[in-house]
Amino acid sequence: MGKGKADLLRGTLDLLILKTLTLEPMHGLGISRRIEQTTRGVFQVQAGSLFPALKRLEQEDWIEGEWGESENNRRAKYYRLTTTGQRRLGQETDNWAQVTVAITRVLEAT
Amino acid sequence: MSLLSRIRGTLKSLFLKQTLDRDLDEELNSYLDLLAEEKVSAGMTPEQARRKARLELGGVEQVKEQVREQRLGASIDTFAQDVRYGARSLRKNRGLTIVAVLILAIGIGANTTLFSTVSAALIGGLPYEEPDRLVAGRKSRDGAPAGPVSRVDYFDYRDQSELFEGLALIGTNTTQHTVTGGTQSELVESAPVTWNLFSLLGLSPALGRGFLPEEEAMGGAAVTVISYSLWQSRYGGSPDVLDSTINVDGYPLAIVGVMPAGFEFIFDADAWRLIDLDGPWDQVRDSHSHWVVGRLKPEVTLDQAQSELDAISAGLQQLYPETNEGKGLMIVGLQDFMVYSIRSSLLVLMGTTALVLLIACANVAGLLLARGQRRMSEMAMRAALGASRWRLVRQLITESIILTTIAGALGVWLAYLLQDLIEQVMPMGDLGVNPPAINGGVLLFAVGVSIATGLIVGVVPALVGTAVHPSRQLRSGVQMSEGIRGMRLRGGLVVLQVAISVVLLIGAGLLVRSLVQLSTVELGFEADNLLTAGIRIQPSKYPSAEERSLFFGSLAEEIETLPGVTSASLISKPPIRRPWTDWPIWQEEQGRPMPEDQFFVMARWVTPGYFETAGIPLFRGRDISAQDVAGAPQVVVISEMTAGTLFPDEDPLGRMVGIGWNDVGYEIVGVVGDARLNTVERVVPALYMSSAQMGDIRMGLMVRTDGDPSLLVGPIRELLRQIDPDVVLADPTAMTTVLEDSFAGFRVIMLSLGSIAGVALLLTVIGLYGVLAYNVSQRTREIGIRLAMGASQTDLIGMVVRRGLLLVGLGLLLGLASAVPGTLLMRQLLFETGTLEPSIYAIATLILGIVAALACLLPAWRTTRVNVVEVLKQE
Repeated sequence: MGKGKADLLRGTLDLLILKTLTLEPMHGLGISRRIEQTTRGVFQVQAGSLFPALKRLEQEDWIEGEWGESENNRRAKYYRLTTTGQRRLGQETDNWAQVTVAITRVLEAT
Repeated sequence: MSLLSRIRGTLKSLFLKQTLDRDLDEELNSYLDLLAEEKVSAGMTPEQARRKARLELGGVEQVKEQVREQRLGASIDTFAQDVRYGARSLRKNRGLTIVAVLILAIGIGANTTLFSTVSAALIGGLPYEEPDRLVAGRKSRDGAPAGPVSRVDYFDYRDQSELFEGLALIGTNTTQHTVTGGTQSELVESAPVTWNLFSLLGLSPALGRGFLPEEEAMGGAAVTVISYSLWQSRYGGSPDVLDSTINVDGYPLAIVGVMPAGFEFIFDADAWRLIDLDGPWDQVRDSHSHWVVGRLKPEVTLDQAQSELDAISAGLQQLYPETNEGKGLMIVGLQDFMVYSIRSSLLVLMGTTALVLLIACANVAGLLLARGQRRMSEMAMRAALGASRWRLVRQLITESIILTTIAGALGVWLAYLLQDLIEQVMPMGDLGVNPPAINGGVLLFAVGVSIATGLIVGVVPALVGTAVHPSRQLRSGVQMSEGIRGMRLRGGLVVLQVAISVVLLIGAGLLVRSLVQLSTVELGFEADNLLTAGIRIQPSKYPSAEERSLFFGSLAEEIETLPGVTSASLISKPPIRRPWTDWPIWQEEQGRPMPEDQFFVMARWVTPGYFETAGIPLFRGRDISAQDVAGAPQVVVISEMTAGTLFPDEDPLGRMVGIGWNDVGYEIVGVVGDARLNTVERVVPALYMSSAQMGDIRMGLMVRTDGDPSLLVGPIRELLRQIDPDVVLADPTAMTTVLEDSFAGFRVIMLSLGSIAGVALLLTVIGLYGVLAYNVSQRTREIGIRLAMGASQTDLIGMVVRRGLLLVGLGLLLGLASAVPGTLLMRQLLFETGTLEPSIYAIATLILGIVAALACLLPAWRTTRVNVVEVLKQE
């Protein structure tokens, strides 16, 4: 990736996708654009990582896909967070907080 | 995440694969559309937007592949796909597949065969109840194993030990008897056993009963248990046999039981006699003629039992210091005891067979490497279409495992065919262990070896073959010549094969030389034109020593009158044919030495003229004469080795010696040359007494003839029938045949190792040829250019041959260096042959060099067929 863009930690993408879907159901491109915007371009999600992640989350029953229409009347598959997905997001967020606190402590402990 | 939904997901992805694929296709298309739309609204033309979107997506196929790998159950799916694809690709490369499968089948088949034999012999268990608890006992002296056990000691061990469910005894020899009465006289062999042996093994007679404990105390209970085959042959399988008696050497014995068919324990006996408190052998503590067989109580370990026996031994040493000083009883697992004689041979064979498999692996790995080279473009194409490296590697390894699995199945079939052959050359049943069989364990072994082989031959070619750079490979459009790495690897494999072959050739060579040494060894007697046979007379018919010696004396004289006979005489045990009977001998004036200082020599008793018949030179004094009969002074003739040990600097003639366990002195009347009595391998010291003074009923006949000794078997039989129809001539055999038979086991090992080395050599040559031929085919263009530049054909041939010889030379060096320590493992199997025998090393090098040179020549000759114009036109 390079050029000021961070590598996504394994599993982090899942967290970002789940979080993004809490707002509203979205299609693949929408998810990737939203992540790009909120992170101000630090994370650019390529299709090669996005789709495997979506399929993985779908299989775990954390998100559900459904065909619908886009703003410009195009067919697109919209993903929605399930209740198990919401629970999962809660756990993941807690984990993440712990991890970042821990890592920050390590980095500050000179 | 519930287990249920996981299972549902897996099933869904397996069965609804096509639906899911279509769904994903649609989704990716819509993604592209949305992306393009975004770009159009940013001001691009629709065409530009479409192109840009595709680039950003990074290839629909790659994304799909990545999603597929993501799926649960994807691995199962890819496996099935790999297998299907692998099978197709193997079918396409039929030639290579067949060669590789055959090579591996030979390797796996040979290993499966040997494994079934080795596992049967060393770990397979004995055909008795709970064989793990069975042990065998030998005498030990100062902690080292020292042969058979004394019957008298045995009773003490049996009475005092508490950790054994039972301790039994079996003689170290069978005895031949004449059975008379009924329609014809015949010879039967009996083994002496204690009453509890059968029940200790967990066996009961098929008919009647075994021996009874009270019979042991009776002092000569006239009972016997007979074998199933004797029951069938002599009594027609009739149950009335239990009411009959059998006339053994003139004494009637009641038949109390018949053992089950196929029962043989240590000996293939026709009948079993009871060892009781009085006999038959080992009247004293320092006579040792039995093996101990024991069954440990449950949960008792060998070590615990050994400690208990050591404690009993210590007690016996105190009680009987003059006979039991330093003596103990040492136990080992019964199976180890029974296969002791073939253990080292089997392990050497197993080791060498494993080496053959290694060669086969190296060979096939070489083939796969070469094929991988040709498939580079295919791999590049697949990588470009989105297959990950791991996916390609897995694919190639699956292919080689399919290959080795087919080879494994063939190998098991081969092992099944070889089984009968192995059974014939290595009769394991005779050792008393279960015969080898292709059972579950062996199949598991074959499957394990096949898969392991698949990994061994597959991994490296797969890694090398998938190290591709798609764009470069595809752009070049032509097959690239073999990379330096692949070439080195294949070369290395050939070096390894050559090295292993050299070691195996040297091993086989050492055995061949040992056999030559054995068959040309100075025996000390003349084996040509010599007939040997056993003769038994009825003790009841010839009750006294005088009558017996008269019979044998006149028999020898009558045989000498037959045409074609030069001389005839008798000896208690003919050389090589019947070994052992070692007795102590000492100078009478010094008194009987302590047990550990006793000097044991082979004791034989002969009729006058024996040394002349056998061709043993008489150095000093006289032969045993017709006057040395019972009642006359006891005389003995000793061998040179006995004389040298007993009277190092003195004249032994006329000296008095003590022999064996009687207290009679013997006068030394002659010294004869040393002869090999027990085995061809070793000269042993000997003493010869007068048979007339021993009065034995069993003797060995030795007849020296003018021509083929077997021609005299008929006339001698006829003569015996006239003299006494109850006398049986047992097993008349030419001495040269006796010697051949004694080499039989050795010859089997030699032939096995020889053929293993042959197979190894063949595989190595195939491998070497393959590497060079492939190398030449890869370099056709280079050769064409060199020819065009003016290189002579000799230069080109030299170029190929040089490469071949370099590989062979390296392999030879490595092989010769590893043979030095490697052959040490087979030292035990060799006879009068050092493991560093230079001539064998030279011959092995020569054979390998010649064969390897031949393998180089054909590919080298091919360079001369390269057509310069055509090659250059191809560009």
